[in-house]
Amino acid sequence: MMNAKILNPFLEAANEVLAAEAQVQVTRGSLTLQKSAMTTDDVTVLLSMVGRVQGVVLYSLSTQTGLALAAAMMGQAFDAFDSLAQSGIAELGNVITGRASIKLAEAGFQTDISPPTLIQGKAVIISTLDFPRLVVPLTTPLGDLTVHLALREQVGELAEPFVRLALKTTPMEG
Amino acid sequence: MNVRYLNPFVEAASEVLLAETALKAERGVLSLEKAPYVTEEVTVVLSLIGQINGVVFYSLSEAVAKFLAGRMLGEPFADFDGLAQSGIAELGNVITGRASVKLAEAGCRADISPPTLLTGQGATLSTLQMARLVVPLHLGSGSLTIHLALREGSQLSGSAANLPIRVPAAG
Repeated sequence: MMNAKILNPFLEAANEVLAAEAQVQVTRGSLTLQKSAMTTDDVTVLLSMVGRVQGVVLYSLSTQTGLALAAAMMGQAFDAFDSLAQSGIAELGNVITGRASIKLAEAGFQTDISPPTLIQGKAVIISTLDFPRLVVPLTTPLGDLTVHLALREQVGELAEPFVRLALKTTPMEG
Repeated sequence: MNVRYLNPFVEAASEVLLAETALKAERGVLSLEKAPYVTEEVTVVLSLIGQINGVVFYSLSEAVAKFLAGRMLGEPFADFDGLAQSGIAELGNVITGRASVKLAEAGCRADISPPTLLTGQGATLSTLQMARLVVPLHLGSGSLTIHLALREGSQLSGSAANLPIRVPAAG
């Protein structure tokens, strides 16, 4: 289940973090729910959440936006999307998600987040399988950042230490 | 990156591949890689969160992915379609789940995230400051490679979230 109580913490966190770290105001674009796989933009930050809210969070942006945001965060210009700029953008995803998880916890949804993974390269296909993605574009004066939430509420304890997909597999005999 | 995290994954992968595809996996040469991973055709990504934190990838070619999905589901796949994709993601899920049970028995509890499937060659995946332990499993006709970028759970995620951020004044 994906609803406003999961979405809003991310929007608030993104607003607050981008304002504090990159001194930009964020305008939220229109929400869409996407079931198909996502085709990557230049840069994608991927993090997972486990706990009362489970799933994957993706932040996608162009290299140009990545450079501009990294420059605003670190107070220096970047010519190339080097490892410092990369870690800045990964950290941005980390801090937005961490802040969202604190807000979720305050609302009663205790979650933990994974370290970030940074994906570079256009036109790779990212599938969150049977988790549909709630997609919100955020416009800033430094460029656009799109937030993809493939999350759902986890009610009760998991019987196994992982989330079963809808698929049923039949093991083959010897 | 601690090598003691490796064996639970290699054992889990061997057991799950044997049970689900009836293939015997043979462990290849282990390496430690600091450079970002350049994607193979198919990559399953999962995270572990708990007393161990980090990311696990399983990478394979599309041909091997179709072959494994075919053995798991008992039907050949001409295309790496939605069902084959779910099958391969589920394989990563079950291997990681089984590894996490073994890790818990050894005293390292971790929850695992739902899987994400990447298709497309040549993108780079960076685990940033975390090096990856890489081990290929040979399956006769191809291989499946396990990449582990794991560390003791410092609850880095929590500490990052606690970084001081000036909250802009309302309005």
